[in-house]
Amino acid sequence: MSLLTGKKVVILGDRDGIPGPAIEECVKSTGAEVVFSTTECFV
Amino acid sequence: MDLGNQQRIKELAEQYGSEELLVVLGGAEAEASGLAAETVSVGDPTYAGPLAGVSLGLKAYHMFELKNEVDGAIYEEQVGMMEMVLNVDAIISEVTAYRAQ
Amino acid sequence: MNDPVLKGAAYALIQANDVALHQGSTPVSERLANPDSHFLAELPAHWRSFEQAVAYPPNQAFIGNIHPRELRRIPRPWHGNLMDDARAGGKHGAIFSEDVLYALMKAVDAFDLVLLDNEFLAPIKEKLLIYEGIKQWGCLARLDKNQAALIRIEELVASGSAEPMYFEHQLVGCVKRAHEYDVALSAHVMFENLVAKATGAAALQLLMNKTRLIPADVDYLIECSEEACGDMNQRGGGNFAKAVGEICGCVNATGSDTRSFCAGPAHAIVEAAALVRSGIYDHVVVLAGGASAKLGMNSRDHVKKGLPMLEDMLGAFAVHIAKNDGISPVIRTDAVGRHKIGSGASPQAVMQAIVADPLADAGLRISDIDIFSAELQNPEITEPAGAGDVPGANYKMIAALGVMRKEFDRSRLNQVVESIGMPGFAPTQGHIPSGVPFLAHCRASILDGTIQRAMIIGKGSLFLGRMTNLFDGISFIIQANAGAKSENEDHQARCGSKKTRVGLTVLGSEHPVSELVKGAEAASAADPCLEVVLIGGKKSGKLAAVAADSPEACLKIMDQMLAQGHLDAAVAMHYAFPLSVSTVGRIITPAFGRKVYLANTTGASATQRVEALVRNTISGIAVAKACGNQAPTVGLLNLEGARQAERILRTLCQNGYRISFAGSGRADGGAVMRGNDLLRGVPDIMVMDSLTGNVMIKVFSAFSSGGGYESSGDGYGPGVGEKYGKVVNIISRASGAPVVAGALLYAAEAARGNLPDVAAAEFAAAKKAGLGDLFCPLTTDRPLEEKAAAPPEKAVDEEIAGIEVFVIEDAVKQLWKNGIYAASGMGCTGPVIMVASEDHTKAIALLKQGGYL
Repeated sequence: MSLLTGKKVVILGDRDGIPGPAIEECVKSTGAEVVFSTTECFV
Repeated sequence: MDLGNQQRIKELAEQYGSEELLVVLGGAEAEASGLAAETVSVGDPTYAGPLAGVSLGLKAYHMFELKNEVDGAIYEEQVGMMEMVLNVDAIISEVTAYRAQ
Repeated sequence: MNDPVLKGAAYALIQANDVALHQGSTPVSERLANPDSHFLAELPAHWRSFEQAVAYPPNQAFIGNIHPRELRRIPRPWHGNLMDDARAGGKHGAIFSEDVLYALMKAVDAFDLVLLDNEFLAPIKEKLLIYEGIKQWGCLARLDKNQAALIRIEELVASGSAEPMYFEHQLVGCVKRAHEYDVALSAHVMFENLVAKATGAAALQLLMNKTRLIPADVDYLIECSEEACGDMNQRGGGNFAKAVGEICGCVNATGSDTRSFCAGPAHAIVEAAALVRSGIYDHVVVLAGGASAKLGMNSRDHVKKGLPMLEDMLGAFAVHIAKNDGISPVIRTDAVGRHKIGSGASPQAVMQAIVADPLADAGLRISDIDIFSAELQNPEITEPAGAGDVPGANYKMIAALGVMRKEFDRSRLNQVVESIGMPGFAPTQGHIPSGVPFLAHCRASILDGTIQRAMIIGKGSLFLGRMTNLFDGISFIIQANAGAKSENEDHQARCGSKKTRVGLTVLGSEHPVSELVKGAEAASAADPCLEVVLIGGKKSGKLAAVAADSPEACLKIMDQMLAQGHLDAAVAMHYAFPLSVSTVGRIITPAFGRKVYLANTTGASATQRVEALVRNTISGIAVAKACGNQAPTVGLLNLEGARQAERILRTLCQNGYRISFAGSGRADGGAVMRGNDLLRGVPDIMVMDSLTGNVMIKVFSAFSSGGGYESSGDGYGPGVGEKYGKVVNIISRASGAPVVAGALLYAAEAARGNLPDVAAAEFAAAKKAGLGDLFCPLTTDRPLEEKAAAPPEKAVDEEIAGIEVFVIEDAVKQLWKNGIYAASGMGCTGPVIMVASEDHTKAIALLKQGGYL
């Protein structure tokens, strides 16, 4: 039972940290639903 | 946070509410990550975007904090290497401090 | 070897404070949302002056005046530690100011969109004249056309149909829209595109100024910025490349644009490498100008934190990829890294694809790469904005990859980061920092042997275009050229640790200076271990030069340089040697093409003739030995004194100073040689007096050319003496290129063979064998024999030669006194005494006793 179970998740990834798609893979493994995912780039 | 993203999150919060909606961050730096956490909970502290003065009360977690909440193998594959690269403790500390209670 | 090489790279930085304020996307967005913004009002207070921007250490690193790793020694903040000796001109590029940018934008504008106020334009046209190459651009003529009054410019800007161009807060010009309603040709788009074109052209011109690339050499150009040029029907039609090539005169090239966000440059270089390797083109240039939109991108945070507006610099670069020249670093086309569509988005997957996989393809490990050039954004710019240290993070990722691949232990992570990376130093201009800023430094470090191998990495955020969520990355390896390396090794083996430096005075000849330069070039080409320095000439091709304005000055400088050890030897015209030093020339004899030393051809070895001949012989032997012949044969040309000299030499030989005598080719043999022997090149060394030698060398050098142009042989040779410590070879004012070349090679041989030491040793050995004593008996103050009565006449049929003509009568009388009938005569080889055959042995003994033989 995860903190994320049953939640709707917004992902704010960072190109120089952890990008959106990588977080998405992790979140999806808990069964939570990803409603929005983006990766920000500051450079 | 990108102003377009602020708008999107505002709309999603209106749609799903702060109980069901959760934000996961992937920021590289503690300060920027703390800023994002603050923006989605009490509002944009830089007063630059749609969330200026808007408290959505959303809880934000950094991916590093969710290590034990997700599949171990997938975490290792997707995030593992960045534990050696980024300042994990500083990031977790900052995001925890700004997270909505 | 088809491997493509990195043949050159150049960089431009252009300060543009007003452009940041009026066209930078962050200030522009702010102005739209919040026109009375405090941030906008405050921003100009954070501007740097041009001098401050030039002296900013990362900018000096970008244009090549310091190595990026030197930034580790400069304490941060770097903006608080400006460099004292900074220059706007750099080893690999240059820094320009905003006013120059505007002039260049107008110059490259082929559609009369750029208007500049006359008052602003006039001084800038003057300023452009200091820029080599740019000042010769044909398009500068546009600066005199389509001039506009300020009032017209103000009108256009106010109407919204033109982008303002401000300089130090004054409106000085504008860029008009290219179409009334086509948004792809809006004033703002045209402004951005003209900035990219102008700065790209500046970088390309710098590449030509700093390297040997000439415009006509370029076959193809690839432009890789992040701008799009087109119109509403083809918004990204493109080909900035050809537009930039046109400005710089690349008449033989075409081009195209490559786009992949920040990874564009790395893609473009891989494409260029492929074009060259396949043989389609020999010379490809990859270039990109700067992005005005990115100026001041993070300035909100910089202002908030009280920092200067560090994002005031547009960046541009141009790189030359060429076919293998045997010297420049090679781009390995067998190990290109690429982030594939199926690679995955995690940082680990990205690094695996871009770094680990290509290394594996090349059979290399992370530790085999001396330095990685990743995204090189200046951390001083990105950290205050919350984006961290991008290069630092990249290096940590590479090191972390190494840990995961068990190449290093986790505890060594930070050490590895230090050793594989460098501080970021590039402006946040998107595609500009991505791998390419290090290329010029990389090339220099590989050529000087500091590093062997580097990996260049480009990464791009494709998702920003909203076409895909995918990331992008590409990498390639550059390494030392194997051709160059083995050439260097071979060179080392042959030349020892350094080349032989020989100076050549080029003034004072009867032929033009170009004749001497030709000779120098021929000698350099024949001997890669030879380095010629032209004294009195101008730098020519690979030949260095030292200025001198007269033949006398040439000789003076030559002597200075020899004395200071800057030259190992020299070749000069009309150089006066001291007494007792004379030159040993070298000719090519016609019968068999054999080289023969003529000892001597100029100078005076001694005042007394026979002594001079003997000393000439020793000089000749010294030169032959220094030049590699350890047992040279000696012949004496049949001249007055030759026999005497031969006698003395044979005595020395008997006393331990070894001499190998040649035998005449004529039937009667002997060490005294005739003209035929000279033509046949019988001895290694032909001994004669200097005046005769001088005649001989001129005849042999210019015989086939008719006299005014010496075309054969190695010149009059090095000066030699008992105590002469220099190697100075003489040529005449009639010596043509072949003789000049021969003389340079001859001088180099003599220098390498340590002629001064060898000569000193030969004279010492000869002295030990009695050289000093043997000249005394030849003094002429000996009493003449008084008249003696002749013995009864006999038939005389034996000739005794070798008696000097001025004592021959005395010798005859000496024999008469001893009862031997003798008569003097002229044999075919010179004066002789004739005696009867039965008296021959006794006569010789008596003559020897009397010192006549």
